Order: sequence, then C-alpha cells, then structure tokens
Amino acid sequence: MLRLLATIRKEWQLLLRDKTGLILLFVMPVVLITVMALIQDAPFKDYQDIKFDILTVDNDHGRLGRYIREGLESGGQFNIIDSLEGKPITAERARQLVNEGKYKISIIVPEGATAAIVSNANHIVNDITKRMGMSASLPVKRQADSLNVIIYFDPAAKKAFKGAIHQALDNFLTQVETDMLLGRIKQQLKSKDSVANATDTLPIRLQAVGLQEHSTGTGKQLDVISNSVQHNVPAWSIFAMFFIVIPIAGNMIREREDGSLLRMKLIPGSYLAILAGKMLFFVGICVLQFYLMMLVGIYVMPLLDLPTLQMGQHHGATLLVATGIGLAATAYGILVGTIFKTPNQALNFGAISIVILSAIGGIWIPLEVMPAKMQLLGHLSPLSWGLDAINDIYLRNGDIDYVWKNVVKLILTGLAMLAVAGWMEKRRLN
Amino acid sequence: MSGITVNELYKTYKGSAEPTLKGLTFQFEKGKIAGLLGPNGAGKTTTISILCGIVKSDTGDVFIHGLKQDAAHREAIKRLIGIVPQQIALYPQLSAVENLTYFGNLYGFKGKALQQKIMHYLELFGLEASAHKEIYKYSGGMKRRANIIAAILHDPQLLVLDEPTAGVDVQSRSMILQFLRDYNRQGASILYTSHLLEEAQSLCEEVVIMDAGKMIVHGHPLTLIREHAACNNLEDVFLHFTGHAVRD
Repeated sequence: MLRLLATIRKEWQLLLRDKTGLILLFVMPVVLITVMALIQDAPFKDYQDIKFDILTVDNDHGRLGRYIREGLESGGQFNIIDSLEGKPITAERARQLVNEGKYKISIIVPEGATAAIVSNANHIVNDITKRMGMSASLPVKRQADSLNVIIYFDPAAKKAFKGAIHQALDNFLTQVETDMLLGRIKQQLKSKDSVANATDTLPIRLQAVGLQEHSTGTGKQLDVISNSVQHNVPAWSIFAMFFIVIPIAGNMIREREDGSLLRMKLIPGSYLAILAGKMLFFVGICVLQFYLMMLVGIYVMPLLDLPTLQMGQHHGATLLVATGIGLAATAYGILVGTIFKTPNQALNFGAISIVILSAIGGIWIPLEVMPAKMQLLGHLSPLSWGLDAINDIYLRNGDIDYVWKNVVKLILTGLAMLAVAGWMEKRRLN
Repeated sequence: MSGITVNELYKTYKGSAEPTLKGLTFQFEKGKIAGLLGPNGAGKTTTISILCGIVKSDTGDVFIHGLKQDAAHREAIKRLIGIVPQQIALYPQLSAVENLTYFGNLYGFKGKALQQKIMHYLELFGLEASAHKEIYKYSGGMKRRANIIAAILHDPQLLVLDEPTAGVDVQSRSMILQFLRDYNRQGASILYTSHLLEEAQSLCEEVVIMDAGKMIVHGHPLTLIREHAACNNLEDVFLHFTGHAVRD
C-alpha cells in the first residue's frame, strides 16, 4: 500500500511542477469542447430553429400566393421578402440573387396559378355532380394550364435542406387544392340541399388518423434532444481524456531513459504496485477531466447562448463509464510509452492514433451517418464505446444495465493493452 | 567468502548474431572494492544487469553473497544490492528530498526515520543546503551524489556503481571516492565500473578486465602492473590486454 500511495503522491508532485502538462490536461480540453460546441451549434440546430430569408415573387396575386406566404410565415422558419429597396422583386432578379448566394431560396408563384387550381377543382366537382345525376354548373377553363411554382435554391444548399423545403411547399399546394375542392363540394351540395343551406354545418374532416410523437424511454423520461452541447461536450471530453496518452507515454519513456524505471525494478517488491499507483493516479486525472468538462457543459455553455448539458439521472453509471474510459486511455498511454523509444515518436503516434480512433469512433460525426463499413470499424473504437455509454445515460436515461457491456469492453481492452505492454517490456530487456 | 561469483555466463540478445557474453567467469571476495573494467562493448552493462536480475543469462550461474541469482532468491538479492546507474535515475522536477522520500517509501521506509536518514546522507554528501531544490537545478556533481544516496537508503551490503564519477568535478569525485572507501570499511562490498583507470587503480582491491564477453585478466591492480614488466600503471595493463584499436 505504501508503494502505491507513494507513487500516487510522486505523480501528483510531478504533475504540479509541469505547468505545460497541466494546461494540456485541463485547459486545452475545456477550450476544445467550448470551441467545438460553438462551431457545431448551427449544424446541430433543427431547421425550425433557424430563420431563413426567402425571396417570394407572387405573380398570381391570388389565394395560392397568399396561402404560401401565410404558411411559410406561420412556421416561424422563414422571413418572407417580396421587395428590395422598395421595389417588388422580379423572377429574374430573384434567380440572380439566389445564384450569387445572397439568398438561400426563392419561390416564384406563376400568374394564373390560383385560377388553374380553381378550374381544376370545378372540373372535379362538375364531374362528381354529373355522375350523381345532377347538373354541372361550375365554370371550367377549356384547356388545363400546366403551371409550376418555381423554386430556386442556392447551389451550395444541402440535399436535406432542399428536400425539407420541397416537402413544405408540396404540403401548401396540396392544402390549397384540397381546401378549394372541399369548398367547391360544399358549395355545390349547399345549392342542392336546403337543410345544409340553412345551417351550413356540413362536417367534412379529411384526417381521420393523426400523428403523435411519444418518447421511447422506460421509467422517468428525460426531455433531452441531441444538440451541439449534448453531442460535443461528452464526445470531445472522451477525445481529450484519451490525450492523456501523451503525458503518460512521455513519463514512461523518460523513466526508462533516465534509469528510474531500472531503479524501481531493482527495489524489492512487486513493480505491479508501482504501476497500479501510476494507473490509479492517471485514471483519477481522467475522471477529474471528465467532470470538469461536464461542469463547463452545465455552467459555461449557457453563458455562451448554448443549451445546458443534461447529465441524466444515473450518476453512478456516469462515474463508472468515466472510470472505464480513463482506464482504457491510461492503459493505451502505457502501451504507447512501452512500444516507442523516444517521446517524439510516442507524441506523434499517440496524437494521430487518437484522432483516427475518434474519427472512426463517432466523435466528429455520429456513427449513424457514416458508410456501413466505416460503422463496423467505428464500433471497434474504444472512444465509440465510451460515447455510446454516455449517450445511453444522457439521452436515453439509461442506468448501469444499459452501459455495463461497454464498460466491460473498455476495461478488458485496457487490461489487454497492459498485458501487451508487459510482454513487450520483458522482450525489450532480453 | 565470495561476494560475487560469475560462472560461465553466456548471453545473446534477441536479433543479435554475436553473443554479448561468451562464458564469462570471475569471482570477487566479499567486503572488497572490486572493479569491472573493459572497453566499450565488452559486456560490462550486460554483466551488471544479470548480476542484478534485470536481464536473464542464456546459461551460467551468478551468486551474490552466497545466494544464487534465480527466481527463488531474486527478492533477497534485491535487498542486498544497491545500484547506482550511469544515468541520473532521479526525477529532475522533484527535489532531492522528494526523490529520496519516494524511493525510500518504495523500500518500505517511512516517517521520521526515513527523513532523518535522508537528511543524514544529504549532509554527508554536502547537499543539505540544496535539499529542497529541484534536481534539474543541480550541478553534474550534485546530481551524481544524489544518485548515490538513492541507492544506499536501504543500507545495501553490495553497492554496484556504473561510472559513478563520469563528468564530475574534482571535489565531487574526491567526495564520492572517499564515501566508497568509508562505506566499504563498514563491511559492504563494492563493485564499480569506470573508464577512469587511474581512479580504479587507487580505489580497487581487485579488478577484472573483460573484453568481447570474456574475462581477460583478474587480480589486484598493483599485482597486475608488477606482473607485466612493460606496464607502469593499470591503464598500460588495460591497453596491453585490450589493444589500442578504438572501440565504438
């Protein structure tokens, strides 16, 4: 026990004297998670949360143009702009401005669009009334117009964004056409039915089955959505925890180079107690890093107009996961420090390997959006196990039952890395 | 009684075509100051590593104060030996007291007794004024002296020193050599390697000159000088047996 405690105290003294190491371990990760949460805030926000300027050219001046305008405005997602510098926008000017990237979208409602919809509705109603043996009386254009509402998108607009706008406009068009059709049917029926004419309460309801979102969680469900803070703070915290590889590997190599490792091995008693002290210290540092960054997520992020981090309700499970991640990161540092001969080699390999493991492990972008093969590879990264476990607690309100498999994977991987390091050290001596 | 017995040691490192030790055999008496001398690449460090149990020999036996260097006696031998490596095996960012407290704790010593021992040795080696100064702020000689203290905290009966006076000033060297003589007078055996043959001649009661993994000659320095008419000192004896060709 004395060996273990003495080693923890020695590592603590060394860390306190190493100002650069302290900055690397505690200040840099805080800066990293803050910057990442800030720059990824916009992409993480739903389109509903972002207001886009939308150029509208209403050449119809009828009900369709009005519906589209009101529909877009009511969603709160768009600022409708129909004139610039006091002049109404023309279709050509709108196309030009969008092409130059000054606006993301422009919608051109063609002249006669409402008339075409009315004519089409009249045509359908006339057809129905004829089939019912009644006389058709609504006016219909002889030739049907082939009209389109035209949309211009900024060439740099994303596919998903375009799809969402298409969907919204399609809904407006369908709604206008349906309303007009129902209006015409009511009007036609009223003219034939005296009771209906008197009360005008003909009930026509098209949506018999609705859509409602429910939460998937069992037990007390959290109202947490995946936002920039909720993804970036845990993800980049795990990334930063793994960067402990660099001080540990440097520490191992220096001890080997300056002979203090040799001195320790020549002292009676098991070297394992010394190694355990070293590991406990660095796992403790990792856990401290983790909670420091969670505190930043809770208290600092809101000061920057970002959402507050929600840590779920199972804090024991969170501590277990943080310890598992710390153990895997520390063991990786010891392995890197054993394999490489110089601190420079270990620094370069350690840093690059963590960047790769984090990229494939879903730290940068969620695994779900990666190609299938990369997803398979990503599930082999310890960083992905850590992130999955944290997301289980934070987003799914999971407890130890949810996370134990990932924690066991992290611990077993850590132990395997230590075993390899031990074997390599023995091999090096002989 | 034999302090150190080395019997037919063979060692070839993995990936190396040439053996480092080729049947090395020698014996040093207990309680003496012995020198293990040889040119670069002679196998001195490998021999010391095997003596301490850090590296295993392919074949051959080593006995330290009558105990065979094997798994059964490794811990007991560790208690007997104190090693002063050529490198300053101390943490540069920690003070002498912090370093010595840590290594003392690893030996199982703690509290007031350990602190008193540390202060005693720091005074003995003239380091008491710099006891709380970080090691990286020490001069070369001060580092060497602190390096020796870390190896004697557990009062070893055999002190093994690898080039203990390399690169130190005259005063520090004199202090270190005087300490070794005094420590030996208290009954401890000392095994010492050095390239400073004048120093070895004045300090050692026995020397082994080895080359290419084998013992070349063994005896008291003055006897060896006397036995070779053309040699005036230990350096002449050394060159006589190992040649003038430069070793890298």
